[in-house]
Amino acid sequence: MDNIVGKKPALIWATHISVAVLVFLWLFPTVGLFVSSFRTGDQIASSGWWKALFPQEQNTMIRTASSDTQKQIDGNYVIEGNLFAEEGDAQGEISVWGTSSRNIGVYTPGDTADLGEDGMLTVEANGDYRLVNDTEFTGSRGERVFLTAKTPPSFTLDNYRTVLFSGKATDKMGKAFLNTFTVTIPATVIPILIAAFAAYALAWMDFKGRAFLIAVIVGLLVVPLQLALIPLLSFHGTVVEWFIALVGTPMEDNARRFAEVGWLGRLFGFAPGDTINSKGYLGVWAAHTGFGLPLAIYLLRNYMVGLPKDIIENARVDGATDFQIFTKIILPLSFPALASFAIFQFLWTWNDLLVALVFLIDSSGETTVMTRQIVELLGTRGGNWEILATAAFVSIAVPLTVFFFMQKYLVRGLLAGSVK
Amino acid sequence: MKKTLMTGAATVALCAAGAQAQDLTIAGPWIGADQEMVEEVLAVFEEQSGLDVAYVGSDSFEQQIVIDAEAGSAPNIAVFPQPGLAAEMAGRGFLTPLGEDVADWVRENYAAGQSWVDLGTYTGPDGEDALYGFFYKVDLKSLVWYVPENFEDAGYEVPETMEELKALTEQIVADGEVPWCIGLGSGAATGWPATDWVEDLMLRTQPPEVYDGWVTNEVKFDDPRVVEAIEEFGWFARNDAFVSGGAGSVASTDFRDSPKGLFTSPPQCYLHRMASFIPSFFPEGTEVGEDADFFYFPSYESKDLGSPVLGAGTLWAITNDTPAAHEFIKFLETPVAHEAWMSQKGFLTPHKGVDTSKFGDPATAAMNDILLNATTFRFDASDLMPGGVGAGSFWTGMVDYTGGKSAEDVAASIQDSWDALK
Repeated sequence: MDNIVGKKPALIWATHISVAVLVFLWLFPTVGLFVSSFRTGDQIASSGWWKALFPQEQNTMIRTASSDTQKQIDGNYVIEGNLFAEEGDAQGEISVWGTSSRNIGVYTPGDTADLGEDGMLTVEANGDYRLVNDTEFTGSRGERVFLTAKTPPSFTLDNYRTVLFSGKATDKMGKAFLNTFTVTIPATVIPILIAAFAAYALAWMDFKGRAFLIAVIVGLLVVPLQLALIPLLSFHGTVVEWFIALVGTPMEDNARRFAEVGWLGRLFGFAPGDTINSKGYLGVWAAHTGFGLPLAIYLLRNYMVGLPKDIIENARVDGATDFQIFTKIILPLSFPALASFAIFQFLWTWNDLLVALVFLIDSSGETTVMTRQIVELLGTRGGNWEILATAAFVSIAVPLTVFFFMQKYLVRGLLAGSVK
Repeated sequence: MKKTLMTGAATVALCAAGAQAQDLTIAGPWIGADQEMVEEVLAVFEEQSGLDVAYVGSDSFEQQIVIDAEAGSAPNIAVFPQPGLAAEMAGRGFLTPLGEDVADWVRENYAAGQSWVDLGTYTGPDGEDALYGFFYKVDLKSLVWYVPENFEDAGYEVPETMEELKALTEQIVADGEVPWCIGLGSGAATGWPATDWVEDLMLRTQPPEVYDGWVTNEVKFDDPRVVEAIEEFGWFARNDAFVSGGAGSVASTDFRDSPKGLFTSPPQCYLHRMASFIPSFFPEGTEVGEDADFFYFPSYESKDLGSPVLGAGTLWAITNDTPAAHEFIKFLETPVAHEAWMSQKGFLTPHKGVDTSKFGDPATAAMNDILLNATTFRFDASDLMPGGVGAGSFWTGMVDYTGGKSAEDVAASIQDSWDALK
């Protein structure tokens, strides 16, 4: 056998290698996305991110400055400048160049090209050029120069600027960020509160049909939430109408208006003067709670069942009620499981777009969330890849922070119940 | 303690979120730069009417509006990118008719007014036909994009007829270059650019009546006349020498990336047939009219079918009836509403009363001329066909076709899927 003391069994190596492979599989696209978030849309379209890290030989077309920068020197009209400077701050070294799209490499640096009536063009290796003509230059666009040049890597922070600070996007990103928290925090806290009670009852209280109830909850784990979206939303609509019938004071001229309800109405997703609307924060919290509960109860029950029976029986003998056992013994002991579920639920609600679209985002435009804001940044036809990469990193910041701070609970909670 | 903090934060966020009231809510498919442009138009309306307007764009508008309508929380006005969905929602009673006076106005003031009324008229839940959709903002599809300076370098002329275009294609190949960039990739909608090709060629090989019959399936999809149009598309797209990257790359190239081949050094291709919105995917800083230009996708000189134009457009419909919504539709009738977007980018209009000098750039004005000079205007057929065909088997069929399947087989399988829907 291989299991001799002091020697590692082959299985350990298999584990290490598969962990390394998994880490690589996860990191590879992430690094790519990260590099892409510092590149412009045109760069992303023209070359892969792995090429962006090294100097590369590229064919590009750059225009000389336009005719309004021309100067008159010795009776000739002259346009001077640096080709790379025309395109921003990138530098490079030209190996060959040309002035026709059919022949992009006819000249070497230092050569002078005769452009006929457009004058004479000289281009140096560092990109300096001089365009001379004996008549005045006209036209709003400069002369095209086709370059084959080695350019160093160039990166930009513009994408981050667009996502975080650009005028319109900022207001919306800020609001979306706040809204996402408004959705996420209650949607994490409420299911935990309910699930902890339920899990205690299912684990330690004896009543008829307990096993059946547990089976039903496990069964609910496999029900896809997409099934319930529309019926649930219509149900919310009905609840809102009932609510109005009970407590609302509808305006005289329009019974379907809901202006007088104030903050309570707003909790249901109303703005004063709105027509009836079944979308709102309360709805999205309820939906997230409902969709999260089966997993929460199942996870917590399994953990609580594993707690030592003796402690609980001792407490019972000492005269503790179920509620006291729950708050004084079970809750503190189940903290790792509670924390790990909290992290799961937080990450899921943070990244959620579907439930928010159905239950929260309405036509008022006031209740947008981060995920949706990112989709919007992509543009009507979804072409802005660079913004997508950047927005993904902006959005990932909070979940990453949560994960790193609470990592130990996550691992402990995952292992809870599996090792006894 | 922690919990109080969280509740506090939530309450603050709630109050911040629900503080504003809107008199008119609008939902549409435009996001990003397009959203900013439509908001300019809405700002004009806000100023005129004193009403507060909120616009929300969504990239999944087609799904979103159905969910919202079902839940009874639809916006006042919805902007449909294609008539098919609007017709369906009208039939289920989610839309409010605009009234006969609006229909009269469109007939009177739009170029080819009756066809715009027909496109916006659907059968309501009571079985009555009424005008539900108001067309505003039109896209032109029959355009071929090119780089004038590349044409100059190579000594090519802009073709005036389809025969010349085909000759130019062969000329470019003879010169050792690649003429076309074609990309059909578009995520779940992969294949739609090819449907535009086929529709455009349908209009150039057959009279408009056949096209209309094709849209309603009176002319079957596997009719030889339709197969001929598909094969015309194949002439361009299924020849390895004609397409950048070879015929095999047509279906896998994203349509957003394919025009970039025009601008590479040296150029990967010289021609790109695409709708009027495509300049937003040209490299940054490209000026339409200078760095890139377009010409009308020409018709056959030999067929004498005039100059047909293929287009699409967005229609505005009332999904949640209020007086403000009707007031807004009235606003769309005024030239100011059109000029507010005209002066920006990417807006074409069939409105005859607008001041065409207000176009933001000469290129758009030239496009509008193509639209107004058309002898035949036809709406994108795939948008008018039932969803399962126009946004389903037609797309996938075209991908199969560029992949090597024969035009007859593809047409027959699309017709089968249409029969299955009946």
